[in-house]
Parts: sequence; C-alpha cells; structure tokens
Amino acid sequence: MSRRPVEIVASAVEEYGSGREAVLQILTRVNGELGYIPEEAMKAVAAAVGVSDAEVYGVVSFYSFLSVKPRGRNIIRICDTVTCGMKGFKDVVAAIEEELGVGVGETTPDGRVSLETTSCLGLCDQAPAMLVNDTPYIRLTPEEARRIVAGLE
Amino acid sequence: MGETRVLTSEKQPEVGAALEKALGMTAADVVFEVRESGMKGRGGAGFPVGIKWNLAGAASGADKMVICNADEGEPGTFKDRLLLEKYPHRILEGMAIAGYAIGSARGIIYLRAEYRYLVPSIMKAREELLEKKLLGRSILGGGFDFDIEMRFGAGAYVCGEETSLIESLEGKRGEPRNKPPFPVNSGYLGRPTIVNNVETFVNVPLIILNGSRWYRELGVGDDAGTKLFSVSGDVKHPGVYELPMGSTIGELLEIAGAEDVQGVQVGGASGTTITPDELDRRLSFGDLPPGGSVIVFDSSRDMMAVLNNFMEFFVHESCGQCTPCREGNLRLLDATRSVRSGEITGMEELKEFFVLADIMKIGSKCGLGQTSPNCFVDIMTKFARLSGGKGGI
Amino acid sequence: MPNISVTINGVTRSVREGITILEACQIAGVDIPTLCYHPDLSLAGNCRMCLVDVEGWRTLAVACVTPVTPNMKIRTHSKKVRHARRTVLKLLLASHNSNCPECERNKNCELQELAEKHNITINEFQTSPKPVSFEEASPGIMRDNSRCIMCTRCVRTCEELQSVAVIKSVGRSHRVKISTFLDRGLNEVPCTQCGQCINRCPTGALFETSEIRQVWEAIEDPEKFVVVQTAPAVRVGISEALGFSTARSTGKMVAAIRGLGVERVLDTDFTADLTIIEEGYELIDRLKRALVDGDETAVLPMTTSCSPGWIKFIEHKYPDLLPNVSSCKSPQQMFGALAKTYLAAKEGVDPANMVCVSIMPCTAKKYEKERPEMRSSGFKDVDYVLTTRELASMIQEAGIDFKELPEEKYDRWMGESTGAAVIFGVTGGVMEAALRTAYEVMTGQEVPFDGLNITPVRGMEGIREAALTFPDKMLNGYEFLAGKTLNVAVAHGLSNAERLMDKVRAGEVDYHFIEIMACTGGCLGGGGQPIPTNPEVRKKRAEAIYDEDAALHFRKSHANPEVQLLYAEFLKEPLGHKSHELLHTTYTPRN
Repeated sequence: MSRRPVEIVASAVEEYGSGREAVLQILTRVNGELGYIPEEAMKAVAAAVGVSDAEVYGVVSFYSFLSVKPRGRNIIRICDTVTCGMKGFKDVVAAIEEELGVGVGETTPDGRVSLETTSCLGLCDQAPAMLVNDTPYIRLTPEEARRIVAGLE
Repeated sequence: MGETRVLTSEKQPEVGAALEKALGMTAADVVFEVRESGMKGRGGAGFPVGIKWNLAGAASGADKMVICNADEGEPGTFKDRLLLEKYPHRILEGMAIAGYAIGSARGIIYLRAEYRYLVPSIMKAREELLEKKLLGRSILGGGFDFDIEMRFGAGAYVCGEETSLIESLEGKRGEPRNKPPFPVNSGYLGRPTIVNNVETFVNVPLIILNGSRWYRELGVGDDAGTKLFSVSGDVKHPGVYELPMGSTIGELLEIAGAEDVQGVQVGGASGTTITPDELDRRLSFGDLPPGGSVIVFDSSRDMMAVLNNFMEFFVHESCGQCTPCREGNLRLLDATRSVRSGEITGMEELKEFFVLADIMKIGSKCGLGQTSPNCFVDIMTKFARLSGGKGGI
Repeated sequence: MPNISVTINGVTRSVREGITILEACQIAGVDIPTLCYHPDLSLAGNCRMCLVDVEGWRTLAVACVTPVTPNMKIRTHSKKVRHARRTVLKLLLASHNSNCPECERNKNCELQELAEKHNITINEFQTSPKPVSFEEASPGIMRDNSRCIMCTRCVRTCEELQSVAVIKSVGRSHRVKISTFLDRGLNEVPCTQCGQCINRCPTGALFETSEIRQVWEAIEDPEKFVVVQTAPAVRVGISEALGFSTARSTGKMVAAIRGLGVERVLDTDFTADLTIIEEGYELIDRLKRALVDGDETAVLPMTTSCSPGWIKFIEHKYPDLLPNVSSCKSPQQMFGALAKTYLAAKEGVDPANMVCVSIMPCTAKKYEKERPEMRSSGFKDVDYVLTTRELASMIQEAGIDFKELPEEKYDRWMGESTGAAVIFGVTGGVMEAALRTAYEVMTGQEVPFDGLNITPVRGMEGIREAALTFPDKMLNGYEFLAGKTLNVAVAHGLSNAERLMDKVRAGEVDYHFIEIMACTGGCLGGGGQPIPTNPEVRKKRAEAIYDEDAALHFRKSHANPEVQLLYAEFLKEPLGHKSHELLHTTYTPRN
C-alpha cells in the first residue's frame, strides 16, 4: 500500500528538515517510493522549503535518476558507457528489449518494468552491467539478462 | 616493479589507531604531516591535500565541513567502489582525522546513487565506530566531536566536481560555481569546506600511523604514495591494482595482462589516450594524470567508435550551464560523427574543431568541459584513419 | 578597500581591490564583450564571452566574476582571447535561430551586435537551431526558446529583482532550457506578466505579445473610432525606442500617434490625476474610519493599485493582505471605463464602435485589460495595449520622421495632464502626487516642500520611507488628523515589495500609505519600455520625468481642469456612486 505523495513529503520533511539543503533528499525519497515525483509532491516540497515550484522542477529535471513521469515498478538502468559497450552492451540491451517488448526509455504496458540506459556504473571490471532498482547485475549475457528481467515482479 | 599493496594490503592497521594517534597531536601537526606526505588529491585534479586542509583550517567561519566525494563516475573508474565495499572504517576514520585537523565536527559522504547497494556496509561501519567512541560525541573520551551522515547523488556525473557536489548537497541543480570563493573558504552552506576523494581519506590513517616520510617514499621520484588503478577493457584480469605513484603504464598493463594493445585511455574519458609507443609514460601528476581509470583497447577496436561513445557521454553529462561545454561537446560529437560517416576526410577540415577543443580547455567553467576535449584531440590526432567506419566499439 | 596596481593591455593603473576584471576594464575604458552579465543582476559567469588572458594562468579568466589581484597582468586581446570570443559566438549561433529579420529584436540584439563586431560570417560548426517554440497563450509575454542562449538573465531577473521565480533552468546538457513548472504556459503559473525578463533578454527569446496588427486593423476600419491613451513613462521612453537619446518628447509623440491615423490622442495622465483624487479620498476615508470610528474593516496601511504586476503578485503571494490594496482601478482601466461612457457621450460616438488603445511602458497592462472585471463600461474597457516599443515600431512602419515632427497637443476632455500625473512614471511619483493633493485638500495649504518637490520619497533606493506631519489647524472635517504624522513608504521591484509586505504582515511597521511599483525604477523601467534597462538609463528617464513635472502649468492633480469638469458633469463626487461603478474594482486571491 503506497502512501500519498504529500504524506511522503511530510514524513521526509520531518526527517530531513525544511532547509533548502533537504530538497534533493526529499525528492529522492518520493522518487524512490513512487518511482517518480508527481506534481503534487513537487508543489508540497516547494511549499515546505519556501522555494518556487519552478525551482523544484528545475532540480528534478537535472538528475537522471529523478523522473516527473510515472515509471514501472522496476527500473532497469543498463550501462552504455565504453567498457560495457566493448563487452556486449548492444546484445544485452537487444535481448532485454525483446524480452520486455519495449525499447529504451519506455515502460512495459503492465507497469512492471522501465528500461533506461545510464552512464558508467563503476562496474567496468565486470562488464556488461546493469542496475535493477538498486541492485547491480554483472557479467551479463543476453540469456542471463532475459532470465533476470523475466523474474521481475 | 609490481604492485605495492598498502591501501589494499591484507594486513590492515587496527581501526582507530590512527585517529587515536592524531588526537594526541595538535591539529596543526596533523595538517603538517599530511602536507609533508606530499599526497595529492586522489580524485583526479591532484590538488595537494595538506594545502587544502591548511586553507580550510585557517579559514574563518563556524561549522566547518568535511565532505567525502564518493561520486565516482568517471568512465572506467571503480576503485572507490572497492574501497567503500572493503574499507569503510578507514574512510570514516580518515574523515574524522580530517575533521580534527581543520576543526570540523561534521562530515558528509556524498555517495553516487548508482552505489546505493553499498550503504549497509558503510552504515554498519559507522555504527561500529560510534560504539567504539571513534565517532560521535567526545571521541575516545576527549574533547573532539565528529559525526558523519550519508547523502546521495541522483545520477549526474558533473556532481563529482566539488562545487557541483556542494550545490547538489544544498539541494540544488548540480551546476558548478564560479571560483573564487573556493570551498575551503565558502563551501557547503557558505561554510569552510574540504572535499576529498574516497581514496584520499583511505590514505590519511596510514600517513598518520606511518609518517609522511614513509608515504613519500612509496612513490617513484617526485610522486608520493601509491595509487589505485581501475583497469578494464581488453585485459585478461580486469580489476583494481595498487602501484607506486609514478609507475609506468606499461608496468600496470603487464600485471593486468594486456596484449595486442592499440590504445589506452588513462584517467577516464576525460584523461589522455595513448598509443603503444607511449607505454613508458608515467602514471604521475607530472606526466599522465592518473585519475584512477585505465581502459585498454586492443587492435580489434574501432577507436573512432570509442571516441563517439566518450563524446556522447560528455554531451549527456554536461550540466549545460556554460557555453563552451554545453555547445562545444555537441559540436565535437558532430565532428566525430562526420569523420565516421566520411563527410570529413582530412585534418584541415578539423582545424576549427581543434581550436574549439583548445577554447573548451581554457574557457569552460569546470573540469568537465576543460577535460572533455582531451579524448577528441588525442584520438583524432593519434588514431583517426580519416576514412570512416560505422561499426561498434 | 585599498588600491592595487593592475596592468591592462600593457598600461598599469591603480584600481580598488575587490573589483572584478570587467569593472577594472570598464574604468580603464577597455571594452569587454559580455552576454550573461547585467548590472542589475548577480554574476553568473556562464556565457564565457568575457574571457581574458591573465599572465600566469592556465585557463582564461572570466572577467565578469574574477576579482583583480595585486599586479595582475590582463590582456583583453590576444590570439587566445580572439579565438575564445569567436568560438563562443559561433557555438551560440550554431544552436540559435538566426532568422533575424523575423525577430522582434532584430537590430537591437546583443548576440547579433557581437557577431557583427567580431565579423562572424562563416560558421564552421554544423548548425542545429533549437526548434521554434512560440508560447502564445500568455497575454503579456511570449517566449521562443529557439532564440535563447541560456544566459539566465531572465531567470535571475524573475528571482532576484521580482521574487517571482517562475522561470528556471530545466533539464541538463544541450537540452537545458529556460522553462516553467512542468513546462506550462506563463499564464498557468504565478507569473506577474511584468516583463522585466524581456528588458534583460539579450536576444529575442522573450518579447511582448504583440497587438500591432489588431491596432492597425482598427485604425484602417472606417467604422471604428480609435481612442489612444498614453501612459506617463512612454513620453520619456519613446525617443529611445526610435533610436534617439532619452528625451521628453510628449508633443512629438502626440503628433506621431495622430499621424498613425487614430481619431483621438488622449492621456492616461488624465486618469492618473483622477486616481489621485479617488485614492486620496479613499485614504482619508480609511484613516478616519480607522482612527476616529475604530472601524476594523478600515484596513491600513493602504497600498496603491496602479501597477498590474504588483496586483497579480499580491494576489498570488499575499492574498490575506488584499484588503490593504486600494480599490481604485489603475489609470489605464479608469480611462477605458470613462472613454466608453463619459467620452463616448461627449463625442457622440457609439461605444460599441469605440476602440480603446493604450500605449503603456508595461506588459502587465496587456494582462490587466483582459481581467474579467474590467468591463464596467458594458464593453471591454480597454481593447488593445501597445508597449512603448510597439508604438515605436508602428511609427517607423508608417514612415513618420519623428525627429522632424512639430509638437502637438492632446485632444480634449481626457487629454489634460498635470505634473503630478507625469511623475506616476517614476518610483515614488504616485506617493508624491497623492501627498500634494491630500495635504492640500485637508489643510488648505500646499505641501511644505520647496517647489512641491517631495524629495524624501524620490530616489532609487529599493524601499524608502517618509513621514509628513499635519499642522494643528486642519480644514473642516479633517480635524482628526491635526498634529498627526502620516507614515508612508515606497517600494519598487517586487523583491522590495515582498520585503516590505513581509514587515506589514508581521505587524512590524506602522505605515498608513504604501506605494508599490512592480518594476525597478517604477514604470519608466517597465517591461514594455525600450531595451536596454540599467541604472544609468533609468536615471536619465527619471530626470526627464521630473523635468516634465517642473515644466507643466498644473502640478497638482486636483488642479486638473478636465478632472474638475468630469466631477462636475459626470462623477459628481469622489467615491460617489458613478466612481464605484466605473473606477473601483475588486481583487482575486490566487494562492
């Protein structure tokens, strides 16, 4: 049972305070819980911290982990930087796209998975790599990737 | 010369021993020791750590801050991940020593969002240090208080730049600041602030325990200490290696098992691209600024595809604030694509892009735009076969 | 700060420590090109146009943000600097929509000017202009991001000068853009439509929503009776907009507008005088009810209401303080309401055929005329609003030689002006005009200031306050103020307004009357005025306005003979029935 956006903001404000420096923490909390940051949450953050709505939106739009659009329950972030590129990123991402039936930047119609590419994950020694939510998966093969993706709830 | 495992040695000093020793010294002596060690910042820019601490210590202003830059995002770099996984206690201890040295009671670890899975081990280490009175109020029963909190990035490479990192910590867009003022005078929330890399803090307890002279002598020639290198790409044994600072790139590649080398990217995408003729160059702030990343490309790789990947990375990660970086990276990517598609066939046509690269290096606001053209210049001048090629890396 | 020695292009001079390289160069008379720099705003250091060479530096120095240091050796033209400037310009032009003839700012564009100056004729970079993205829904302000160079002057204006902050950098990398909350239209966010962003935009990314076409069509329609009103600040701005230096040019402006082919050229000054009467009596009424009757509905301090940007601001930010705002409509809207009633009757014109056009230094006036309550004549009281810049453009289009025009006078019934009305165009002017009238109405004597110049409320300080003590002898009915002191305050720029209203809300101040203008400098610095605006320009315009005041025969609003006639023939009395119907209004909380 997920909490309402304004409730998440309220509890995050309680934890992090209402200083300017709490903005990214609060937003990250909302993003983590809902997968994205709805309009009402941004407005609630702006009101709590005393900055404009546009200011909060400007912050959200800067960071690639934060989203203003609803995303899937699981977020796959597959690294497209050089070493992963050398070690089979293309085949892995193609396999995932086929398994999910959606492309990079898209969410499955059932809201199960969003697929994104990301910059270097710092797992180059074990490339190719991806994050599923916060969990790293390494030395991926197309088959392994399919298996992981198929197992997502 | 081979590996010199000090930071990553099997035998680690007892947790807290260095902090205890530091607390027995004056703050000025701690700063002096670090300064004498000759350690330069391990994040890549190589600013002398002791000088930074000295400036912050001398700065007027309350509530000084110690910030650990754990926003490792340079392509090909993963040595801080290893340190955060294996040596969280020593990172925290290094931060506490820094806090004592500059007169700060508060530390923050700014961890990249991509490394969230490392949080439990870091938090566990903090708990343990708190229990042992190595963190928190009245550390080891003395008058020094220091605690550390964790904060997170949200997916922005530029936040590895210290003023962007501070902006991000303040809850803002991670856009670099104008300098001066420098963070040592006015950093997080306007307070005197030091920002040091994970690896820098890991070194600190060892310097305090073993002395500055020991540390200096670990390096080759003028270079002090050892350095961690993340080695990936076309090598038999990708991983993190610890070598004396000043070792040659050839020595490192031999250990990691590189064969049929066509090119090596030293210092990440923003570093230097070298050819097999340059393997005797030194991993040193005086020669090849080491950063922490070494990516090896064998002869099967299309170096123009590599460049294309790097430039796409920089285009994506530029904060967009200053003109040379925002627009310049885009144009360098254009040129790369034009070379690959065969639209540009001669060096003469690239002339204006080399001017652009020069201006980006000396005219961009922060390190991102100042270093992103390096790979363009290196790969275009050393590797470009100006006949196109559109394959993968 | 002590002086230090710096060398600029080989010439050593002594400058104050702590100033920037740019300031040092300005003092030395050395030109440095800038784009993101603006004297009204904080320093950004983003555009990198002002890069200079400093001996011993690895990188170039950003002149606008870098402080000079002792013995600094600066070179403002070297191979590196020349390459840097050309590269920055080429980069900006490569992603800029360079369809200059179609741009509102053609020939008055800082990017165009610098490109010309640096002889950028060939761009080796692949050009990929950002897509044209007109925003048209907002009544006062339009945006086109394809012309934006990301200098962020508009963002800093909106936040620092106006405390509005509805526009921000959004996104990252080359996809970064200036946008609003969730990329909405300016009419869907708490934008005040003040247009200060327009005045500080170096290119044509921001401009007013134009109504030139509609006005030409009205003029060319033989059925229509076009009545023009001109706001006080336009007469000191129009010459700049036509490419001349700042000058009082009321007579030429009247002649030029008449030359466009309109039926009547009248003056917003007339209703400015009327505002003073209505607002002055409202203030006296509030004072009496509050101080004598103990009436809690008589809210003090009373604030002025003529600046529509200010009205929208207080509706968004201080809805609880709306009872403090004078119920008087702005002079523009009073004019519209009277034009289609009083004037239409006098001229024998069917108000349905009357087209009321205002020339305003303001973009928020375009918004104000669209407010649903502004239809008390039974028609839309004001049909079209043109900015000073739009008027200049029409004068040029009509081929009118402004410089050679003879001076002409306004038409009658609503064309008479006083010095009190003229100074509505400068911060502090409404206050000064109100005091000139209120004091005399209640005491029978002129305000005790030399030449009627109430200097304590003049100047460019963001917030100013003054006190005026009444004599022991008051006229009949005003004895309650005998010996009492009236505390007043003036603020211009909405950030200053915010500071002042925070104090009012907190009960920290004891003012009776507050003048607030949304724009820095007052209307003379309005969002519809010629570009550029800066402290120097505003100072010149203010001087021109005070000169005009001093030169006019009538200096006090209540002395305006046409206003007296209006009361005698039509309104009967201040705050009377007709006044309430036509000249007063209500406000809408928008939080």
